[in-house]
Amino acid sequence: MPERGCKNVKIGIPRAFYYHSYPRLWECFFRRLGHEPVVSSQSTQKTLELACAQTEMENCLPQKLFDGHVLSLIDSVDALFVPRVLSIVHGHNCCPRFGALPDATRAGIARGVPLLSVEINETVAPLSKTLLRLARTIEADRRTANLAVQEAIEAMEQHHREEAQMQRAQCDNRKFLLLGHPYTLHDHFIADPIVKKLKKLQAPLELMTFGDNDISPGDILWCVFNKMYRKLQSLDRNAYAGVIQISAFNCGADSMMTERFRRMCKQNGVPYMLLMVDEHTGRAGVDTRLEAFVDSLSWQRADRAK
Amino acid sequence: MIERLAIPNLGNYTVALAAMVTGMGAEPWWSTYTSDHAMALGIAAAPESVCLPFKAHLGHFIEADNAGVENALMVNSIGACRLNYYRGMLEETLKDMGRKIRIFGLGFDGFKPPVFRYFDPPLIPLLRTVFIGLEKIKAIDTIELKTAYTRAREVNTGETSLLMERCLRELSEINTKKAVRRFHKEMHKRFETIQIDKSRAPLRIGLIGEVSLLRDRQLNHNLEQILGHMGVEIKNFFLLGGEIGNNFGLSMGYKKNTAKYLAAVAKPYLESEVGGHARDSVAHTITCAQTGFDAMVHVCPTGCMPEVSIRPILRKISEDMDIPILPLSFDEHTCALGVATRVEAFLDILRSRRQRGVRGASGRRRA
Repeated sequence: MPERGCKNVKIGIPRAFYYHSYPRLWECFFRRLGHEPVVSSQSTQKTLELACAQTEMENCLPQKLFDGHVLSLIDSVDALFVPRVLSIVHGHNCCPRFGALPDATRAGIARGVPLLSVEINETVAPLSKTLLRLARTIEADRRTANLAVQEAIEAMEQHHREEAQMQRAQCDNRKFLLLGHPYTLHDHFIADPIVKKLKKLQAPLELMTFGDNDISPGDILWCVFNKMYRKLQSLDRNAYAGVIQISAFNCGADSMMTERFRRMCKQNGVPYMLLMVDEHTGRAGVDTRLEAFVDSLSWQRADRAK
Repeated sequence: MIERLAIPNLGNYTVALAAMVTGMGAEPWWSTYTSDHAMALGIAAAPESVCLPFKAHLGHFIEADNAGVENALMVNSIGACRLNYYRGMLEETLKDMGRKIRIFGLGFDGFKPPVFRYFDPPLIPLLRTVFIGLEKIKAIDTIELKTAYTRAREVNTGETSLLMERCLRELSEINTKKAVRRFHKEMHKRFETIQIDKSRAPLRIGLIGEVSLLRDRQLNHNLEQILGHMGVEIKNFFLLGGEIGNNFGLSMGYKKNTAKYLAAVAKPYLESEVGGHARDSVAHTITCAQTGFDAMVHVCPTGCMPEVSIRPILRKISEDMDIPILPLSFDEHTCALGVATRVEAFLDILRSRRQRGVRGASGRRRA
């Protein structure tokens, strides 16, 4: 932990997991408290190579990327910020991996670096309270803390609004929906090649957004998947050409849920494709599958038009 | 005609679960391990990247359906791990395959779960069989403990395993509480009839990890027996009696290892609940290191969300407290010989550690 009360502490934030789940929140929050947030750069092949030597072999791809980001940060920061994200939406939970994340990071790849952590559990306390608690542990006075919390949450909501607006602006009614976790959809290594390829194919694209905290009742307790489920439930088959699900290799949650989503899309009559992204560099496979998917759907459309 | 109800595998404890099901007015369909055939069926039908226990359960229920069983029982969970979604997915997969078998959940589904609504068992006989079942669980706990102790010391290899099988078979046929109690008492004597070599100081190894893997000998390729026959005294940390005591607050006579206690032990290394038995694994490793176990074996299905995520923590404990840990992960491709080889190599290292005096037979470190 950085020394109490001191300012301008360099706090490292890995550009993975919770960074994408809470966009802009952490930078804004720590900056307002008078510290210097250092966010690691976009993930690349190099991030992965960095991680591969040290990370647990059986980890999922996002976790490996997280480890890579942490390793790229540890030499240049005073402390690392790794929260324990147990729940993002009231009454729901996250991947079990997050429960052990700070402890595993401390015990594993980030030994010797002070770790700043806080337990985010929306079921127990709302985000603003959690942030206040975090502010108190790093010795911010009450007034600054309140302001920082307000501003940070406002910044995040602003971001969510902008993003939703941007996605809605894709008014083309034959667009593709890209599904995935926030930390796969916005990861440079995982989703970028797919997004770029689809752009190249001139396929209009909508990314799944997670700003809306409405949850559909049902048995899916994982917040992210519940939001995706809700989106698929209300999916208008005339507005979307197809659904492309990005699944990260060895993601346990994906392995359970994609099957259900596939089934849902089949019932809805929306074409569905699952793209599993792993740590291999060869992109030809992904390119080919995307081309085939987009082409076959356009032929189908042409057939119908005849 | 009485309808049949297939129940999930929980290793030797399935004997006790089967006893409870009879009280429901259904005939139980069970086995203490997933057969090879069931595994093959499950692997073929399940999505490729789900974890091994799901494939085992699916195969087990497909096999049940093939045998004409009408209903199946699957435990519910409300945790963060994949187990939470097992039942729904089993239902959907079986329906897609055109199977007729009905899947009922058990636990966390209201005051009168659907399975009770369906069978509508009379209360008194049901309670009676539940008590018999609980009594049997206690007896099986003893069988487990005795087997682990005797198997490592037996003079004629294999005797203990045979006796264990015999005991379980006999236990499954008993249907009064009194008889179970009597059987429980006699069992101590029966295990004493096996000739053991008391002068041996076997290696002591704790088994931790995921439940299905710890309990289903098909899934873990008979790990307990392999270790036992190599002269290792194992301690399997999943004893259902203790588990029930923890999770449902039923007193089964287990004072040690309550959930609260384990959480406190694990706290320096792991501050929060992870899911599955991950926190227990951490806590047991710490206690084993303190009480002089020679090593730990950590088993989990490949890619198990909670167990894999705590591996860095286990490695740190291993370094800090000087206790070797062998992580073993199992998927459908893991072969028994591979497991045996790795275990053998591990035991060689442990024996040489002992010889060098890193850890004495009593477990205390020599100067």
